[in-house]
Amino acid sequence: MTYQTIGTDAPRIDAAGKVTGKTLYPGDITPPDMLHLATLFAGRPHARVVRIDTAAAEAAPGVVAVFTAADVPVNEYGLQIKDQPVLCGPGSTLAGADRVRFVGDQVALVVAETEVQARAACKLIRVEWEDLPVITDPEAAAPSLAGGLGDPDPTRPVPFQLHPHRADNVCYGYRIRKGEVETGFRETDVIIEGVYRTPVQEHAYLQPEAGVAYLDEAGRVTVEVAGQWTHEDQGQIAHALGIPKEQVRVIYPAIGGAFGGREDMSVQITLALAVWRLAQRGIVRPVKTIWSREESIIGHGKRHAMKIYTRWGAKRNGKLTAVEVKVIADGGAYMYTSNKVLGNTTLTCTGPYDIPHVAVDTYAVYTNNVPGAAFRGFGGPQGHFAAESQMDKLAEALGLDPVEIRLRNILTDESLLTVGTPIPGGVGMTETIIAAAKAAGWTQDEAGQWRKPVGLGTRDQGSGGRSQESGIPNPQSLVPSPQSPIRHGLGFAAGFKNVGFSFGYQENSYARVELRGAGEIAEATVYFAGADCGQGNHTIIAQVAAEVTGVPFERVKVVASDTSLMGSSGSASASRLTYMSGNAVKGAAEKALAAWQNEDRPAVGEYIYLAPKTTKLDPETGQGQPNFAYGYVAQVALVAVDTETGQIKVERFISADDVGQAINPQQVTGQIEGAAVQALGYAIQEEWKAREGRVLTDKFSTYLIPTILDVPDQMDALIVEVPDPNGPYGARGMGEMPFLPAAAAVAAAVYDAIGVRFDEFPLTPERVWRGLRGKG
Amino acid sequence: MQPFDYLIPKDHAEASALLAAGGGSVRPFMGGTDFLIRARGGFIRPQSVVDLKVLPGMREIRQSPDGWLVIGAACTMNQVAAHPLVLAGYDLLAQACNSVASYQLRNRATIGGNCCNASPAADTAPALFCLDAVAETYGPAGARRIPIADFFVGPGRSALQLGEFLTAIHLPPAPTGACGAFNKLGRTKLGDISAVSVAVYAWEHDTETPRRDWRIALGAVGPTPLRAPEAEAALAADASPQGVQRAAELTAAAARPIDDIRASAAYRRAMVAVLARRGIEAVLAGIARAGLQAVPFGGVPAGSVSPTGVLREGRPEQMIGGAA
Ligand SMILES: Cc1cc2nc3c(=O)[nH]c(=O)nc-3n(C[C@H](O)[C@H](O)[C@H](O)COP(=O)(O)OP(=O)(O)OC[C@H]3O[C@@H](n4cnc5c(N)ncnc54)[C@H](O)[C@@H]3O)c2cc1C
Repeated sequence: MTYQTIGTDAPRIDAAGKVTGKTLYPGDITPPDMLHLATLFAGRPHARVVRIDTAAAEAAPGVVAVFTAADVPVNEYGLQIKDQPVLCGPGSTLAGADRVRFVGDQVALVVAETEVQARAACKLIRVEWEDLPVITDPEAAAPSLAGGLGDPDPTRPVPFQLHPHRADNVCYGYRIRKGEVETGFRETDVIIEGVYRTPVQEHAYLQPEAGVAYLDEAGRVTVEVAGQWTHEDQGQIAHALGIPKEQVRVIYPAIGGAFGGREDMSVQITLALAVWRLAQRGIVRPVKTIWSREESIIGHGKRHAMKIYTRWGAKRNGKLTAVEVKVIADGGAYMYTSNKVLGNTTLTCTGPYDIPHVAVDTYAVYTNNVPGAAFRGFGGPQGHFAAESQMDKLAEALGLDPVEIRLRNILTDESLLTVGTPIPGGVGMTETIIAAAKAAGWTQDEAGQWRKPVGLGTRDQGSGGRSQESGIPNPQSLVPSPQSPIRHGLGFAAGFKNVGFSFGYQENSYARVELRGAGEIAEATVYFAGADCGQGNHTIIAQVAAEVTGVPFERVKVVASDTSLMGSSGSASASRLTYMSGNAVKGAAEKALAAWQNEDRPAVGEYIYLAPKTTKLDPETGQGQPNFAYGYVAQVALVAVDTETGQIKVERFISADDVGQAINPQQVTGQIEGAAVQALGYAIQEEWKAREGRVLTDKFSTYLIPTILDVPDQMDALIVEVPDPNGPYGARGMGEMPFLPAAAAVAAAVYDAIGVRFDEFPLTPERVWRGLRGKG
Repeated sequence: MQPFDYLIPKDHAEASALLAAGGGSVRPFMGGTDFLIRARGGFIRPQSVVDLKVLPGMREIRQSPDGWLVIGAACTMNQVAAHPLVLAGYDLLAQACNSVASYQLRNRATIGGNCCNASPAADTAPALFCLDAVAETYGPAGARRIPIADFFVGPGRSALQLGEFLTAIHLPPAPTGACGAFNKLGRTKLGDISAVSVAVYAWEHDTETPRRDWRIALGAVGPTPLRAPEAEAALAADASPQGVQRAAELTAAAARPIDDIRASAAYRRAMVAVLARRGIEAVLAGIARAGLQAVPFGGVPAGSVSPTGVLREGRPEQMIGGAA
């Protein structure tokens, strides 16, 4: 199929504004006469607020108002369940809201003429605290779960309860039973057991939380902020303020990165509250706030740390027979999206494989840590680290090539997921694995078996390093001499993840297209609420509108992300926007075109796309049809390990991604490279440190993310296109997929290089060095 | 950040008077790359800063009549690293300056600020220790000179008195055939503060029986930068492969590391040995290569690479994340 705009590298519609500095991010918006808001954070992981004395703050220079829990009409919020107070303290409308459960809980807001005054006055608020015992280890918070595979032991006493609604501190759980796992293990030739730990990760978006709120011309409480779902923000603000949704308006200007970290509220409700309460006092002025980097790092959720107990069995020919997994995720102080993140871990912790007998139990547990939240991959990277590390160990134990063993078990259109249903059509897992393997130099022998390129890694040391046959030429790296401390290794891993909201939720997305002109269509305008967080979604929808209407791409205008102008398009998450917005805009554009042909001027088409239905999982067996689409990825890491210092350098990284149809290949490449670098940071460098619930790495000088020099010398983004039956032009979601198996690929490569297994990361030099020492 | 005043002094005396009168609330200011972080973090709350960059000589690099190199305290890292006199005789210092953060930061960060901040991890310090640098200061009692090892007193503490500031770094004339290597470990390739750094330096002693002297200095493994005198002495006596290994171990023994957020003490100590050995080997290789060049009259031939410069191309790709 040939298209006019689809599949071309159309220039990003936001590029010129961002490059020239014209584009305003929330922190850049400075309406005249505005006030500044500063937030008093708890700074302690678990305590009761006995008393708050705001007198001194209120009397401080420039201070206009101080707000506490008593000022919040309905003092609760949360994306999945409303288990978090907007402000913690006494006098709340809600029982139990006088308690802070993590350092980033918010206690009071100061509004003043200048930012300096607001921050200075914040320090004058006197809070009387009653510190409570702190619990940061999920297995200590929920002792019934401790101790490896097997059923929970409910007789073990819970130390104390973190939330009134959960006596066992377990905030969510899933259970899958497919086949008879004990029978499966009886049929196996090899069993591999492992306990894996995955770390917390910070989103580290460039733009810390910021926003401006005001009453708009219609008197609506209006918040301009960076988020991921305008209409959900609107709903949560309205709920906390106890006012109808129509009286709240949310607008997203340019967003400086999100990665899931903006799915939960940060400054949305507090800004709205301040403007609304001030207006009641007759002060009608805009209010602005910008969190510092330190506030951002303690104030928003993180990637869940997880502990994964797992046991895999396979036959001598590599066929998997049984897998048993238990996942304990640190949910932190509040639910955020723990239930949804855990859902993805539940589906991915067994890898992209067809396994006859499966038992999976997953739990998210409340603790006094910064909440576990949405983060690119959404539970998938954790699940894949365990699953793909297990596959690497199985391959070794069976003497099979890591690509070969995967292909022998891979999910196809015909196979059943662990939830007992076939995967929706167009499964590109096999094609993706082969693309990555070939690029790295894998070949097939006469019998059709895949073989790793020779001459790499520890076991090849005798030959004096990498041979000429290696598929990975790398002129920059030294051929190791026998004395050289550098060892090279190659690692492979694959993954899959759902696209879109699911588990019974009816996925939907709104779009409107208006066509203007006389004889010919002169211009098309797309109204769409989905957030462009930097991933380029608004360029994609312009391409789709151009394709359908025939209007040149340059003459498509996008009006986006304003709840007063359009319906809900859903969240910028779950790799869903290309898929959902593509279908929504396509539907709307087709209707507008029909209206145009019907002589309507302007011709308007409005459309709500409804994705194929999904179902909840059965609580006992986990059987069901949780998702309507998936994306696929396979990756190869070539690493050099300095065996004296423990430093790892990823010399080359290959990521093959099945995106169905690349609507804009350049943007797909950007997503693959960006996700890969972010995932390599997670795998190797980023080391979150906290002690007793207090965050030690609240700055970029202590929490280090990759710099440009840490990026692999060579990155290969390979686009695979196996069409999705329901995606727009065959496209499927892809933004998260290149994150999924990276940590496992690196760990496998490091093992290949130095013969030491790491079941925990980040693989910092010190961890690798300790591993090397422990070995001998 | 609390607002503060920015003062431009008219001369050394006024700068000193302003600093002295202000007690701790008036601070010297150069590139500001350390200062602003501390002020923003609320660790210091100055009422004003005195910009010392503007004072005469502060941004100059010149050779004094007695052959010493005088580097103005406000010279930036990039300025020092690219200066012909530095490259000709003090390549070790150029390596250290070049290892600091990013190019952009090195346009701003000064060598004097690096010393006055008195971080044990200051990257120029190990090189300055090896080169026997002398700090020149100006204060209420006029100018004085302080050997670099006495300038660093403790973490964040220098020998400077109230009203006194650093004006220049003096380096003794570069010995013939000197060769140096600076290596460090951080957690990223760019921008992380060193968790360990080691400078190694050697030169031929001009005596009747040829003798080679060594200097080894360490960063980020003690309350101040440190020398490793026992390792230096051992190397002078024995630079065989076994001698090198032994010197590396003695260097590690000289370290006084702590556990912190960047690395554990145990890892730091082990890495001192690794970096010391690599540094010593690189210096030996550099000397060997330099020895192949016919050097007339025992000096550096005009227009040729200085012996220390050899290391630039010669430095093997051993370090994965270390300094460039
Ligand atoms: C992102 C980043 C990365 C960095 N990476 C490195 C690195 O890799 N290696 C490294 O060593 N450092 C690093 N630093 C630290 C810093 O850049 C250096 O220490 C720099 O050399 C300081 O110089 P400055 O001119 O900016 O000093 P300033 O910040 O101006 O001053 C530093 C301190 O010394 C005092 N002071 C300044 N001048 C004088 C004077 N003449 N007399 C008396 N006191 C004075 C000031 O009051 C202040 O307390 C980094 C900093 C940043 C922000």
